[in-house]
Amino acid sequence: MHNLYVPHLMTIEDITVETPDVKTFQLVFKDEKMRDSFEFKTGQFGEYSAFGHGESTFCIASADTRKGYIQCTFRKVGKVTEALSRLEIGDTIGFRGPYGNTFPVDQWKGKNLIFVAGGIALPPLRSVIWTVLDQREDFGDITIVYGARSVADLVYKEELKHWEERKDVKMVTTVDPGGETPEWKGKVGFVPTVLEETNPSSENTIAIVCGPPIMIKFSLQSLEKLGFTEDQVISTLENRMKCGLGKCGRCNVGNIYVCKDGPVFTAAEIAAMPNDF
Amino acid sequence: MESLRSKAKELLQSGDVTTIIGYAAGTKKGKTKPYFAYTPEECEKLIFTPACVNNLVIYLTRKFDFMKKGKVAIVAKGCDIKTINVLIQENQFKREDILILGVTCDGVVDKEVVYDGNTLSDDEKSIKCITCDVNTPTDFDHLFGEGVESNALEPMTGGIYDEVDRVRGLSQSEKWNYWMEHFDRCIKCYACKKVCPLCYCDVCITEKNRPQWIETSAHSRGNYAWNIKRAMDLSGRCTFCGECDRSCPAEIPLNVINQEMSKLNYEAFEGYRAGYQTEEIPPFVSFKEDDKEDFIR
Amino acid sequence: MTLKLLKEDGLKKLVEAMNAADTRVVGPKKNEAGMVIYDEVSQVSQLDLDEIIGRYSPKDAFFPQHETVMRYKLDGTNVHVEPEKPTIKETVLLGVRPCDAAAVISLNSVFTWDYIDNLFTERKKKVTIISVACNNADESCFCTSVGYAPDGTEGSDILLKKTKEGGYLAEVVTEEGEALVARYSDIFLEGNEATEIEPIAEVADLGVSIDKIKAWLDDPKNFEHKVWDDLAAKCVGCGGCTFVCPTCHCFDLVDEPYGDQGKRVKNWDGCQFDHFTLHASGHNPREHQSQRWRNRFSCKFKIYPDRFEKKGCVGCGRCIRVCPVNVDITEAMTEISEMSV
Repeated sequence: MHNLYVPHLMTIEDITVETPDVKTFQLVFKDEKMRDSFEFKTGQFGEYSAFGHGESTFCIASADTRKGYIQCTFRKVGKVTEALSRLEIGDTIGFRGPYGNTFPVDQWKGKNLIFVAGGIALPPLRSVIWTVLDQREDFGDITIVYGARSVADLVYKEELKHWEERKDVKMVTTVDPGGETPEWKGKVGFVPTVLEETNPSSENTIAIVCGPPIMIKFSLQSLEKLGFTEDQVISTLENRMKCGLGKCGRCNVGNIYVCKDGPVFTAAEIAAMPNDF
Repeated sequence: MESLRSKAKELLQSGDVTTIIGYAAGTKKGKTKPYFAYTPEECEKLIFTPACVNNLVIYLTRKFDFMKKGKVAIVAKGCDIKTINVLIQENQFKREDILILGVTCDGVVDKEVVYDGNTLSDDEKSIKCITCDVNTPTDFDHLFGEGVESNALEPMTGGIYDEVDRVRGLSQSEKWNYWMEHFDRCIKCYACKKVCPLCYCDVCITEKNRPQWIETSAHSRGNYAWNIKRAMDLSGRCTFCGECDRSCPAEIPLNVINQEMSKLNYEAFEGYRAGYQTEEIPPFVSFKEDDKEDFIR
Repeated sequence: MTLKLLKEDGLKKLVEAMNAADTRVVGPKKNEAGMVIYDEVSQVSQLDLDEIIGRYSPKDAFFPQHETVMRYKLDGTNVHVEPEKPTIKETVLLGVRPCDAAAVISLNSVFTWDYIDNLFTERKKKVTIISVACNNADESCFCTSVGYAPDGTEGSDILLKKTKEGGYLAEVVTEEGEALVARYSDIFLEGNEATEIEPIAEVADLGVSIDKIKAWLDDPKNFEHKVWDDLAAKCVGCGGCTFVCPTCHCFDLVDEPYGDQGKRVKNWDGCQFDHFTLHASGHNPREHQSQRWRNRFSCKFKIYPDRFEKKGCVGCGRCIRVCPVNVDITEAMTEISEMSV
């Protein structure tokens, strides 16, 4: 009898400390067969268990083109994330997934892409950025606009540097006014402002946005100014979840279940949602 | 009732208060419901009958926004006014923030009784009414209704206290079995804490999970922890409005455990009874150098 | 649909025979607190079929209030996990009301939506539902207003109707019902349409239109309508309604550690609780009771039909009876139905 709520066991293979309260785990399934056969599509999420404390929902932050392991990035903010952040390399966590819908990457082939993210919201986009970069020839121009409150709050610092160095990616990093350090060489300004300064063309372009609600709101306004229609803009939502598979009734926004109809939604779909998230 | 309605209209018209919290006829036979009037016309629906069981003081607590809208007038029976006194002692609001529309009361209906307009017999009354000594309230801004004399015996005797005394007389293991059998039926719906005007913590201990002090599951351990914990939190504060007992879908005798605590406080702290005075601070949140210590063994 | 007959002592024989066959018989029974709930019955005298409806719904036969989903043990850096395998006995729900039987259809659609919840389906597979038509109803019943009836057969395997002779006419609705009848063929005798039954209860129609209610809920501008504040103003958020409701399915998954081992449990939860949708960041999409109340009403009359193509409310009236402050779902239905053009 397959029990939906029993997690698979995974070992923490590597830990990266992104910021004082954000960590990235690299995880491998304990079960060899799972390790080889596990598949997911970018945009999907999982329920990660800290045994004895509970489960928490994070997107799968690694690309779906990479096999054999998955990564997740989380901020220490509650009971489960606190317990997870105390774990070390070699420890065991649980994983249930992959759940949710995916970024329609195939529909973007041949188009230009602009990724807009803020703070801890880069992880879901990182998955799709790497998926896209692993198939770079299939896409047009790629721009990434990413910002955080301060230099210390930037996640994936090594990867940001890598993306800056790449000739086939336009990387724009910014920190909020007041968050810069004397050595900071990137931009200073809120993400929506910097986005407008970057002035991407809306012609044949898809914008993928992720961030705290306020940043999404202003970024959508900026994108509208730049000529993007609601169907050209895609985002990923989060809501309080428990089961992750449409039964516990917790994550619904009106009649939309974020865990089943999402977490990936177009801006048009988000605009049609009731104010319930 | 007509004088209650006119006073309520007058208060709204003059702008003295922004909200009247009272009772109106309910949707089912014999039932009444909490009712909020904001205009003089809405005051027409105000009633007061023996079916007015609810303790409306809950709407004055921080759990609701009524106090934020301005001065509030509340229709309150003697038992409800006791709850108001405890909330004032605990700095939840000031006496000047509310207007008490006191009503005299000769008892309200018991749980399954359907009020049909006739005078209530003792059997039809809520058990709290049997020992009531505040039938005619003493603290109010306006009083409505004919004077009613109290039939209460000495404090802490009769009514629910018969059962309290009976349970006291049980052996230790019999007491344990009595309570575990009742608590086993708990479904952790938390209706008891939600209807209680004195359970007003912004974040309930059951909602704290670092660590999880009270387990959320409805098993023996979790139920025992929750019910005992709430009784302890109410000790010396509970005014016996009986709402928790009335609202419990699992029929747990919450009046018995909470009144056991009231009786203990009465015996340990020289006749202290919650809600009868606003000057004295409840025993469990105060310390006097000459406090009795003989119960510490 | 075949018709069978239980004679005057038929029900007694059936309960005895099922118990003897080690089948768990669950029916309306008065507990030690004097309230009628669905519980195990070993003799027909324990069955209380006069009570209009039990306090709780029979949903915990498939969806227990509290169940363990797995156990774990920490072992250094490793963890051992053991999925829970509950032993589920063959069960007959005997004496269920038609509204409760209909609710099982709705509940089933949630637990089999895309992902199959085996903890639910394994239990449901082993349950046969024998419902009893209502001869009495009270003011809180409103099954006829939501498209059901006090002698409806939706969700039942067998529907019993009390006869004037004191037995029951049995309408065998499903294959599972046929199988049960075949197993107890000496107790289920040939039925006759002409047998006189006790009058079926009259359940007053509220005069509302479920379609109009849904249309009103479908209109996005009604999401922030003032009516939600009015309807929920006195609601204290006690969650009593969600726990007694036969179609409410929300649950919580939580770990209960005990030293270095423990279990993960699945408990009933309710959207009326103030921390139900609270994010760890502190953001709460539904921080006011009116928003939570709107969610429950919408779930019953819009979300269930939209997502699961099933009815979310069966008109059992339990929420009305249990509410300490007289929040009445039928009041809301009437008001909204009238506002809907």
